[in-house]
Amino acid sequence: MIILDKVSKSFNGKWAVKGLDLRVDKGEVFGLLGPNAAGKTTTIRMMTGLLRPTEGKILIGGYDIVKEPIKAKSIFGYVPDKAFLYEKLKGREFLKFIASIHGIEKSTAIKRIDELLVLFGIKEIEEELIESYSQGMRQRLLFLSALIHNPQVLLIDEPFVGLDPFGVMMIKDMIRRLRLEGVTIFLATHSLHIAEELCERVGLISKGSLISIKNKEEITTEGGLEKLFLKINS
Amino acid sequence: MKTTLLLLTSKIISIKNSITLNAFLKRFPFIFIGLIFWVLFYSGTYKVLNFIRDMGFFGEILSKKLLSITFFSLSIFLILSNIITALSSFYMSKDIPFLMSKPIKIKEILRLKTIETISSSSWMVISFIPPFFIAYGVSYNAPFRFYLMLILTFIPFLLIAGGIGITAAHLLTRIFSMKKLRLSLLATGLFLFLSLYLLVRSQWSISPESPERFFNAMLNIKTDSPLMPSFWITEFVMPFLKRQTPDTSYLLLILCGGVFMLILSGLIGNRLYSNNIERIQPSIKHGIKAGTEGFYPGDKMAFLWKDVKTFFRDAGQWSQLFIISALIFIYIYNFRTLPLKTLSEIFPFMKEFMVLINMLMAGLVLSAVSARFLYSSISLEGMAFWIIRTSPVTVKKLLRAKFLYGFIPVTVILLAVVFITNIAMGTDHLLMLLSGVTIFILCISISGLGTGMGAMYPRFRYENIASISTSPGGMLFMLFAFSVVLLTVSLEAWSFYSYKKAVLSGSATSYMQIGQLVTAGILIITLNSLAFFIPMKMGKKRLEEDLSV
Repeated sequence: MIILDKVSKSFNGKWAVKGLDLRVDKGEVFGLLGPNAAGKTTTIRMMTGLLRPTEGKILIGGYDIVKEPIKAKSIFGYVPDKAFLYEKLKGREFLKFIASIHGIEKSTAIKRIDELLVLFGIKEIEEELIESYSQGMRQRLLFLSALIHNPQVLLIDEPFVGLDPFGVMMIKDMIRRLRLEGVTIFLATHSLHIAEELCERVGLISKGSLISIKNKEEITTEGGLEKLFLKINS
Repeated sequence: MKTTLLLLTSKIISIKNSITLNAFLKRFPFIFIGLIFWVLFYSGTYKVLNFIRDMGFFGEILSKKLLSITFFSLSIFLILSNIITALSSFYMSKDIPFLMSKPIKIKEILRLKTIETISSSSWMVISFIPPFFIAYGVSYNAPFRFYLMLILTFIPFLLIAGGIGITAAHLLTRIFSMKKLRLSLLATGLFLFLSLYLLVRSQWSISPESPERFFNAMLNIKTDSPLMPSFWITEFVMPFLKRQTPDTSYLLLILCGGVFMLILSGLIGNRLYSNNIERIQPSIKHGIKAGTEGFYPGDKMAFLWKDVKTFFRDAGQWSQLFIISALIFIYIYNFRTLPLKTLSEIFPFMKEFMVLINMLMAGLVLSAVSARFLYSSISLEGMAFWIIRTSPVTVKKLLRAKFLYGFIPVTVILLAVVFITNIAMGTDHLLMLLSGVTIFILCISISGLGTGMGAMYPRFRYENIASISTSPGGMLFMLFAFSVVLLTVSLEAWSFYSYKKAVLSGSATSYMQIGQLVTAGILIITLNSLAFFIPMKMGKKRLEEDLSV
């Protein structure tokens, strides 16, 4: 479902990501784990089309993000690490806007918005301007907006930033449920326990290069992610 | 004080880091334009001053009056500018949460913000006013002491305005909420400005027959209250021009006034700031339920719908309409008061000439309005632009939506303005049609130019909305926009003049004249098409590049 083929990205001659090769299957939860400035956000931003790879290609659901951006973008949802939203729109209006640009028909959109608002626990504040939302509420709204068009792929950058314990539990449940529905989830994080708990496979990235990919069994037999993480950073 | 200096150092280092050769080269055209302005302002003031002073004793009174009116106007401008800047700097600045969370005393934050407010409110005055005073100095052959004393008194003059502005900002925030405050302030400012304009305009109906009426009106303007800093500075500085001894009590008054106003603003700030900061935080009103579903935009209308909603909710955006409305009001009012009938009896082609001037002026208004509605439209997406970039919509579609968002109001406003002013001038049908079509073409091309250039130079991280259109890219847009307007109107004038001459002489239109008309038409369409398509294409390319926000 996701293919990164020898993907590299340089900024002013410096490589932020170098030769990234990766495949994520349909319905898999894949975690990209690495310390700060390892290249996780750059990778995910290239996958969303916000940055263009300097080398290599990225396929989402078979669509090249550079050559067929519209088709690729219509099948994924993206949750960034920083929740910059349209402050002067109300929560519900923002969701209607997102549904509109995804071309969702009115009655379907309204039904889906209502369902998700209840599910994410923000129905109460749907008619408030986003500028008054707390960080946690914004994060929930972001998740909700990424799911409005029933994406086949969900790209998440640091999924639990600003969420309270209840919010964290809710998102974890959501990720598990989406996986069962066949949604492919790619999450970039530096949180070891999240990667360990949610991901079937974890890619360890450092200084822009993928060091290794481990599945759950390998992680357990090699003494857990903490040990692996320390190893790549030593 | 040590902490204030430390905080200030970080700001100075930021400014220092942004001064590079590249940045200088980018700004060079603007520095050059600024220098031209200085030269023009200096020579204009110098000529006016010499003309006035040639009138002998009466001229000397007028010269002093001009200086006093200038100081008076500067103080009003500075106070208003300081209030608006203080509101942004003390209460809306992005570094406030950072500063408040650090072990820094409120007193230190207030000092830092006071320095920031006064310097950013005064830099414009400091940049454009020197030629005026230099012209005074040269005209009077003033000694070096004049310039020295002027600087010595001008600094406390700026501090007084700053102190008043900051104090007013603290008090106003105490009384109103932030949203209402900015609104009421703008409305008051606008009301004051228009009242002053109408008052002065009614007294100064400048006609060639009565220059003395102009001077009388000027002398009657009351700016000489001994309670005003503008009076103190005029009374202290003027004797230096004439090599006389000034009354030092005015120097003391202005120096003490500066210190006093700074202390007062500090005391009021200390008392109100913490509470005010708490009061202006946005909060959720729980329990509000949605009523009916309302409008669902559909994919084609989504951007327009979102932009219109945001526009009406963001006081920072729509409050600029006040300023634009004031401009348009003054513009229409001026046309209504023009003695066109008398003038057209004296000069042939006067009405036609005025229609062209009207189109040119309308083009200027169009450029200014487009800078706000169209040039800024992409940047206004701000840090949330990632939403569009990760959505299944093309940049082309986004640009088209942004174009429509600005083009519709801009065209309605401009066509209305041209129509009203043409009616006020009694323009005939042909000229009315010609100017209507021209303005419509210009609205399309300038709207495209604005949208495209806004996309070429986006500023997603802006401090305030006005800074988008006043950025170097915004100024470049204004320059291009006005050049397109000027060229279009000049081409029309060229062909229209030739046509009208043939009609008036009663001779049949020659092939040469027809050729001239067709050439002008082709050139106008080509020019406006290029102004539309090239920036749109370049803007599209720029927005498809890596997004750095």
